[in-house]
Amino acid sequence: MQYDADTPDPLTCDLGFLMLPNLFTSTNIPALGEVLNFAQARHGVLVGNLANINTPGYHVRDLSVDTFQQKLKEAMSQSRSQSQQLSPGISQSEPGDPMRQVRETLTNVLYHDDTNIDLEKQTAEITKNQFLHNFALTVMTDQMSLLQNAISERV
Amino acid sequence: MTPITSLQTPLPITPPSGPLNLAQPGVGEQPFKSFLMESLGQVNSMQQDADKAVQQLITGGDVNPAEVLTTVQKADMSFRMMLQIRNKLVAAFQEVNNIRI
Amino acid sequence: MMSALDISTSALVAQRVRMDTVSSNLANMSSLTRNANGEMQPYQAKYPIFQTDDKLTTSQGATGVKVASIETEKVEPQYRWQPDHPYAIKEGPKKGYVAYPKINMMAEMVDALVASRAYEANIGAMEITKNMATQSLRILA
Repeated sequence: MQYDADTPDPLTCDLGFLMLPNLFTSTNIPALGEVLNFAQARHGVLVGNLANINTPGYHVRDLSVDTFQQKLKEAMSQSRSQSQQLSPGISQSEPGDPMRQVRETLTNVLYHDDTNIDLEKQTAEITKNQFLHNFALTVMTDQMSLLQNAISERV
Repeated sequence: MTPITSLQTPLPITPPSGPLNLAQPGVGEQPFKSFLMESLGQVNSMQQDADKAVQQLITGGDVNPAEVLTTVQKADMSFRMMLQIRNKLVAAFQEVNNIRI
Repeated sequence: MMSALDISTSALVAQRVRMDTVSSNLANMSSLTRNANGEMQPYQAKYPIFQTDDKLTTSQGATGVKVASIETEKVEPQYRWQPDHPYAIKEGPKKGYVAYPKINMMAEMVDALVASRAYEANIGAMEITKNMATQSLRILA
């Protein structure tokens, strides 16, 4: 949604900011959405490891959780310092959006050197990933329902 | 069984003291407006705490997930309580508005 | 809570290594290996050494387990009189005897049982950890 200073847009207030996307960016909902994306991408990679457990010469793949969390932290502090919005979804991404760097971590697959896949380690990682996903989902649903209560004035 | 003549005279009833004492307004009472604004500030700070806790958890901080969930739930409940209070106030105001003079 | 999962996983991996050594010992009960000098030596039983893993600690002091090394036992082999065996000892007091590994089958089976029960116990602990994590999401209903 382009903002043009000269022509008034019916969806923006005349104070000069976009009101409706701001509804979400002041909460944690964009960050939690990124966590969900990451958890689902990592799930795919880890399940691929399990499927290839007997393949000769297979290297264990993973998505780095630490890199993702680091990038997320940077994106959030960047948005706070520059008062730039974090996009709530892929469809509304603006060019200077800090979340773009976060989304790039979803495609950087790490290859581990050891060919020794531990079944237990992979299942433990899948379980931890599942907990992260469910946690982000629960909190995000709760925030959305809170917004809905505020809008509808009905508790 | 004690005989009825040995009953003592009933104690005198003293007027209630404390916040319900309407005869003399206390020194420590706040006007309702500042009480309301203070509560709004508290609800806001609880929401901010919950937001910060969630952010710390998803960026890899050393915080317990159960604590974060409890903080979020407390913030939610206080927000909902505030919303109900606000609804009641609005309804009361509308009732007062409808009083026919 | 998630570090509890990591600690249980380290235990599962360690018990699996122990089970591997037990299987190796039982499978090689009668086999000879070639040592560095090219001579045939009897197979010596292997056993793992477990240590607490300092890299896998929580702030409250709980540590995981790691396999520090796999050591080889050094026991006297069992000798059998087999003068026509290609690997019989050629000279010395044990001439004509063949050295076979001396593996205590009872001890190995008990080790296997212990490893199996420990594996089950750790899986049980992991189930409980997962359950606790799932239940804690019900705080937000």
